[in-house]
Amino acid sequence: MELLEPTREAFRLLLTGDAQLWYIILTSIWCSLAALLLISPPAIAVGFVIAKVTFPARRTLVVLIQALLSFPTVVVGLVLYMLLSRQGPLGFMRLLFTPEAMILGYMLIAFPVLVVFTLAAVQGADPRVYETARGLGASRVHAALTTLFEVRFGVMAAVFNGFGRVVSEVGCSIMIGGNIAGLTRNIPTAIALETSKGEFAQGIALGCVLIVVAVGINAALAWAQGRGGLE
Amino acid sequence: MSDWLFAVEGLDKRFGDRVLFKDASLGLEAGSGYVLVGPNGSGKTTLLRIVAGLEPADGGRMALRAQSVRAPDYPESWRRDIVYVHQQPYIFHTSLQENLGYGLARRSLPPADRRARVQDALKWAGLTASIKVPPDKLSSGEKQRVALARARVLGPTILLLDEPTANLDGVARKQVLDLLTELCIDNHTVVIASHDPEIIRLAILNRVRVSGQRITVDE
Repeated sequence: MELLEPTREAFRLLLTGDAQLWYIILTSIWCSLAALLLISPPAIAVGFVIAKVTFPARRTLVVLIQALLSFPTVVVGLVLYMLLSRQGPLGFMRLLFTPEAMILGYMLIAFPVLVVFTLAAVQGADPRVYETARGLGASRVHAALTTLFEVRFGVMAAVFNGFGRVVSEVGCSIMIGGNIAGLTRNIPTAIALETSKGEFAQGIALGCVLIVVAVGINAALAWAQGRGGLE
Repeated sequence: MSDWLFAVEGLDKRFGDRVLFKDASLGLEAGSGYVLVGPNGSGKTTLLRIVAGLEPADGGRMALRAQSVRAPDYPESWRRDIVYVHQQPYIFHTSLQENLGYGLARRSLPPADRRARVQDALKWAGLTASIKVPPDKLSSGEKQRVALARARVLGPTILLLDEPTANLDGVARKQVLDLLTELCIDNHTVVIASHDPEIIRLAILNRVRVSGQRITVDE
């Protein structure tokens, strides 16, 4: 297989600002960011509550959410497809094969990642943080926010991991996005499609972007941790 | 109960099979200082935590001024009056000023007032030279002084201190002892759990013995 020419063509596409390629990249990043923005607050809150509050079946709930981490994303796509298709209970919303449907799918995929990482971060926090905040007159909500601030690098790791999981996700995107050019085609689905057609240039270009995003996320987290004194 | 600033009556507390308090009572007078003495594990810290609302009591009644409640139903509003300082205080990973201003911000004090009171507290605790030091680089003595200043700046009705000089020696211990003495002389209602002979010997403190599931004030 000739690799040099497709790679050269990939970089030409990237550097010349190929509109179709950059639309795919922006669709991926925008849908992933929107999903994270919407799901992070409730997921972080759930992670905090599970970490701090004792209630019946808490252990079972943790096991269940941890199991969701390894849940195949294509199954999430399948369930959402059945819900959003015309015959489905949410068919009237006409969301299937739209970026909004993909955002919904990404939210479901990112949820367990955010909950489990936040849970671990809060459980690892010094118990004196919450007590000190309460002892100084903070309300429960404010003491919770103070605790989350104190474990902010763990929470940031949760958000970055959630982003990493959804930005590289294929199964759910194809199922409910439909891989429609100029609408729902994103980086992973485009790579899968172009490679199946034997068009490696765009696949390589998009693969490079995904790698840059992954490295960028880790670099950003490491930078933030460094600034916070976690060298 | 109404003669006291704060009182507990018929306090019950147990951890599993271990009974810490059975029908125990204590009254605190406004402007008086108290030192809790007793063997390890007798319940000194637990008593402070119950008074601070950080540990639920199993039974009994508590009263602050005229408000009397069932001990397990600790009122949220009392948290503004009663401030607890841990044996090893936690200092938030922000600036010293923000640490000292944390409780003031929760009380919605205007930023200008907050800044003035924080500056005053920094001076009181001798921390003005340590403003730029990151919290995790503070010494144990400095952390204890930050915690004392952070509590004092709120002007609490009752200040609860858990072993404030434990893990300190030399100059650091002396500095904290001086601040404690000043707090007591300034007519704050202070309750200190301590094994430190120098604190126990302070003449201005009433000695409260915590042992055998009871609380008794030495005459």
